[in-house]
Amino acid sequence: MSEKEPKISQDNRDRPEEPTLASVVSVTDGASLFEEVDEKPKAPLKVPSLEGAPAPAESYEEASLRAIPLKPRLSKAEHGSRFFFLLCAILAMGQMLLIMVFLFTESVGLLFSQGGSPGVSLGSFLFGRDWYPTYPDASFGALALIGGSLAVTVVSTAIAAPLGLGLAMFLSCIAGRRTREWVKPAVELLASVPSVVLGLVGMVVIAPFLQQTLNLPTGLNLLNASLILAIMATPTIASLGEDALSAVPQDVKDASYALGATRWETIWRVTTPAALGGLSTAVILGLGRSLGETMVVLMVAGGAAQIPNSLFDSVRPLTSTLAAEMGETAIGSRHYQALFALGVILFFMTLAFNLLAWYLSRRWRTRR
Amino acid sequence: MFLLGYSKEARKRRDQLATGVIVALAGFILLVLASLLIYICVQGISAINWEFLSQFPRESMTKGGILPAIVGTLYLALGSMVISIPLGFGAAIYLSEYAKQGPLVSVIRLGVANLAGVPSVVFGLFGLSLFVTTFGFGRSLLSGCLTLGLLTLPTVTAAAEEALRQTPGSFREAALALGANRFQAIRQVILPAALPGMLTGAILALGRAAGETAPISLTSATAYSPSLPDSPFNEAMALTTHIYNLATNGANIAGTRPQQFGTSLVLMAIVLGLSLAAVILRARLRRSRKW
Amino acid sequence: MVAEQNGFEAAPNGQGGGAGQGDGAGQGGDAGQGGEVIIKADNVSFFYGQFQALKNISVDIMADEVTAFIGPSGCGKSTFLKLLNRMHDFVPGTRLAGEIQIRGTSIYGPEADPVDIRRRVGMVFQRPNPFPKSIYDNICYGPRLVGVNRKADLDQVVERALKAAALWDDVKDKLGKSALDLSGGQQQRVCIARALALEPEILLMDEPTSALDPIATSKVEDWIRGAGMSIVIVTHNMQQAARISDRTAFFYMGQLIEFGPTLELFTSPKEERTENYITGRFG
Repeated sequence: MSEKEPKISQDNRDRPEEPTLASVVSVTDGASLFEEVDEKPKAPLKVPSLEGAPAPAESYEEASLRAIPLKPRLSKAEHGSRFFFLLCAILAMGQMLLIMVFLFTESVGLLFSQGGSPGVSLGSFLFGRDWYPTYPDASFGALALIGGSLAVTVVSTAIAAPLGLGLAMFLSCIAGRRTREWVKPAVELLASVPSVVLGLVGMVVIAPFLQQTLNLPTGLNLLNASLILAIMATPTIASLGEDALSAVPQDVKDASYALGATRWETIWRVTTPAALGGLSTAVILGLGRSLGETMVVLMVAGGAAQIPNSLFDSVRPLTSTLAAEMGETAIGSRHYQALFALGVILFFMTLAFNLLAWYLSRRWRTRR
Repeated sequence: MFLLGYSKEARKRRDQLATGVIVALAGFILLVLASLLIYICVQGISAINWEFLSQFPRESMTKGGILPAIVGTLYLALGSMVISIPLGFGAAIYLSEYAKQGPLVSVIRLGVANLAGVPSVVFGLFGLSLFVTTFGFGRSLLSGCLTLGLLTLPTVTAAAEEALRQTPGSFREAALALGANRFQAIRQVILPAALPGMLTGAILALGRAAGETAPISLTSATAYSPSLPDSPFNEAMALTTHIYNLATNGANIAGTRPQQFGTSLVLMAIVLGLSLAAVILRARLRRSRKW
Repeated sequence: MVAEQNGFEAAPNGQGGGAGQGDGAGQGGDAGQGGEVIIKADNVSFFYGQFQALKNISVDIMADEVTAFIGPSGCGKSTFLKLLNRMHDFVPGTRLAGEIQIRGTSIYGPEADPVDIRRRVGMVFQRPNPFPKSIYDNICYGPRLVGVNRKADLDQVVERALKAAALWDDVKDKLGKSALDLSGGQQQRVCIARALALEPEILLMDEPTSALDPIATSKVEDWIRGAGMSIVIVTHNMQQAARISDRTAFFYMGQLIEFGPTLELFTSPKEERTENYITGRFG
């Protein structure tokens, strides 16, 4: 548009143009041209003269050239307050960048040799199975820790997703309004139970129970951690899932009932497909919550850095490794750098989940 | 007609079965969650008495109370709000009132949403690196408050922006048409209307800050302190880290079970109390709002 | 002048007074005879981004009269109204060409202070939009902005404004109650009183009765007829324009098609498009 416009106005140069103050200002004002760049040309550019509306005395281009942009005029005090608010926004957002910068600068030294100890290659860090950070001949392979994180996340979600979605269906489609008004806030309240308390319950109640009933050497294992994480994630999934199901317009459901469908058929064939984007977002956010949870896995996952073969193996996810080992390392040491590198991995894993959830919820919104 | 009659009974049975399964699932979850709460209450209530709430721990934590942990948690949670409320409200005001809605604002909003999903232990690492080491605040209340403040900032910002966006644009229009400038319109009309909603978000964030463990164990917590903190540069005990320490590496893990559950109950009373207050406030707000 | 080239009835300066003005004659009488021009727009074009919403509007609005803007939706009548108190300043991507003057001073000139202009030009919106504050605080909002803070002064302002808006008797005992507790019609009159409290030179009303029921509408219309001040009202309702205005402007597709004394415009329109619209053939 910006290229086209001056050309047209040149063609029209011979037409009389009213010399107003505005026209003088706008010719020198590049901002108005710039403003138009990102605007799509709209239909009214060439309005058909319906009902015999006369052509304006002045062409669009002439009027446009005369025009000056309108802007709110801000006083000095307003500029100040605006600047303060902008600063807050930058800080709120810039934090993301800051976190990345600090995680990287603290961990990047791991890749290079330092004080005689050779650098750890990216490949051996990401795919090494051995995590022995404190041995004299230390080895920093994060694969077992990543595997541990993924294992608890997947198993806990496998438990929490059906439970949470079932609860969401109950709240949204089956329960009466009164029940929903009481149960939903209660469920949301449970989502805020501190994780350390749940970890304690896992240690004191679930671990001995698993140990005795299944005759295991220890009850602190993948299954225990996953159960507790499922308890944490279920309210989140249920609450977000209920929002998604309730957002399906009532008339769509009515149409289904009017065609003779039963309640279950309506839920399963109409409501659930329509809310699928929101439901998957709910599950992924629940997944992200399990992945990032620290205290539960620290207390009940057992803590052995190995890739689990069964539900009853002890695991050591990324988060619990960070929390357990950070206290004992010297700042700037190899181990310290390796822990920050684990932080980088964790950061990007959760980022991926968040972006996926965001993408799904967006797609779902635009489709409706 | 015969098409419908064909599967009528089967469909009805399937409907009843599915409904039954969903109701049973929901009932099971609610039962589990309720029994969890009841269990913690029953286990914890026996440990709680006046001495427990008002004394320092004694004899390797097996006797005495948890006063310094309560005080430390309150300092940390309230201190974090000193950071996140002004910054979060300011950022929310910028996003909803000043920023030109476009790609940049979408990116900021996405960033804020993403930050809310970053694991708290990563915030702990960040706080350790930035406040404890780089700024040289050491392991201290100050470092802990700053870390928790940044941790809760996205929550506070998102909730505040939501509340601001729910105030009708016509308020702003009316104020501007009466000759208010932008800042006056925000301060005198929009902010008063949105404030209860913004504070609801802040209360929820306060509850979250009080319930966090990993970030403060990395930046500010100590297992035992003989006195209450009297400067922001002191280390402090906190309820969450106290529970963790007693349950995993105390001198007498089994012997301090009552203390562990007692502390848990106190923590839950604080966290759930705050959340409950926020939920009630929000429900009230919805009912009393007339626009 | 562009408008003259097109033969528009754009500036009916000389011919307003003589024509019979129906029920507007009461307050329009002395103003009509070569009355004072309060708002003068000269060749105004206006853009939202690429879209030209107003095309070469030139119009003189007379003081102490009620001027109605009519036309099908999207014709630019509301857009033009909002230009008169600079409400478009806050919309990104808007551009203006041409000149608008209030009592001879340019409101978009470099000297103009938009905040001061909005105090001189009051505005009432489509939907009642009282602040979620007490009736008293709603009325006081404008005066407080200009620094009136003494309780006695404010009391006086509130009473005068509410009496002027014909609401005093309804609400004098509940000034402390939330304005949002009033009925829709009362809320709209609170908004009128809130604008009047600043003693504006002219009042702009953007379809002020479109959200009101018939009884509340007739109360607001009664008020407009008896107000005796300069009022510009945008309405989609032609009967309303005929009932309450002294002059009417017909907008169509961003252009001012015809402007003249209301009776004349409705009984013997000069433009075919005006006739088509007022006889309901389109719009």
